[in-house]
Amino acid sequence: MTKIAIAEPSILLRTGLEQLLHELPDAEIIFSTDNLSSLYARINALHPDILIVNPLLYDYAKRATIRAEFDNLPNLRLIGLVTSYVESQHQRQFAGVIELNDDFQRIKSTLNQVTNSLQSDGDEPDTDPLSDREKEVLVCLSKGLKNNEIADTLNISVHTVITHRKNIVRKTGIKSVAALTVYAILNNLIEEKDII
Amino acid sequence: MSTIISNLPQLSPKMKMADAINQYHSLLTVLPRLGIPLGFGEKSIEQLCSEHHVSLPLFTLIGRIYCQEDYYPTANELQQCPMTDILQYLVSSHKDYLENKLPHIEQHLHTQLASMDKKYITLISNFYAEFRKEMEKHFRYEEEVIFPYLRQILSEQEATESATYQKNTFHQQHDDIEDTLNDLSNLLLKYIPAEISPVERVDMLLDVYALSNDIARHAMMENRILVPYIQLLESKRHD
Repeated sequence: MTKIAIAEPSILLRTGLEQLLHELPDAEIIFSTDNLSSLYARINALHPDILIVNPLLYDYAKRATIRAEFDNLPNLRLIGLVTSYVESQHQRQFAGVIELNDDFQRIKSTLNQVTNSLQSDGDEPDTDPLSDREKEVLVCLSKGLKNNEIADTLNISVHTVITHRKNIVRKTGIKSVAALTVYAILNNLIEEKDII
Repeated sequence: MSTIISNLPQLSPKMKMADAINQYHSLLTVLPRLGIPLGFGEKSIEQLCSEHHVSLPLFTLIGRIYCQEDYYPTANELQQCPMTDILQYLVSSHKDYLENKLPHIEQHLHTQLASMDKKYITLISNFYAEFRKEMEKHFRYEEEVIFPYLRQILSEQEATESATYQKNTFHQQHDDIEDTLNDLSNLLLKYIPAEISPVERVDMLLDVYALSNDIARHAMMENRILVPYIQLLESKRHD
């Protein structure tokens, strides 16, 4: 369930948008408001995933830095509800933009996109190659050694072996020892004759 | 992957089969398993099901599983679909995996291996052979232990103690199959050297991804349809 908050001064737009969002099975409106002070009071207590906000709620001088207003909520995604001309550099701070003449289809796809970007978050891709230590652990694994045997061989704790193994799986995307062995051979870390 | 709402039209009995397949390509693999041949012109799902003696509730259940990421059938939807139909479909999927899908991927693999250094060949073919054996074992277990037990509940005889199934068996074993396919696609994508039959490799990867998706759906059929169905029947029997 995606938790959505709405901040829009016009009652027509606010209720209209609420009505549309009610039709989405995976979206839940946790609050909606027409002013900033109530927005700030509630957003910190209720932690929505997405805030749909009309930039006109902010003075012109502040309009470029709306995202920065919510720095304390790093997981919050902002969608701009654009009802009149807003400069394109102001629009860039939003994860998505809903415009007055958008049809329902388009609004749904904007919400989908922003929701999907929520899920991929917190999972920084790791582009580092395997470290020397990880390669050593991998070689031991390919030779059929168990965690405690690897720990003895490399003079490290079993706990450390497990951490290395987790990192190997995370970096390569390969889970099984059989496939990791193929990886080790393809990368010339071991010779075929070393495998039992 | 959960999306707020799907923009695509929902599958319905009146929908043209061609429209359904054009919209949801992955459903294509389901047709031969149900004995629905291609070349169906403008016929609707409903018409084709009745022509080929496929239960419409079964097709609807399978269709929803393939097209709707977050679909869980209601008890009512389950009861409309005879369990024997579901089991029969699962068995013909197993057959399709073993007789068509896996040999096809294996063919791709041999083409890859043909242009590789000799030292890799045994290793990679062993890896694949091992995977295939695991899959056969898993399907055999379902067909020889789990499904007969279910048929027994169906015929309302008391099930023997030894046949008690483990709900978690389904989950764990399917995860393993998906993991292995995932390992395979990562090896192909990331680590087999660039110069080795690149065109064929893309084809092979597409096939592995498609199979992986299909097996995930197959697992959903068992986890979201079969398991709740068994619980439903068992709870009735205890009443």
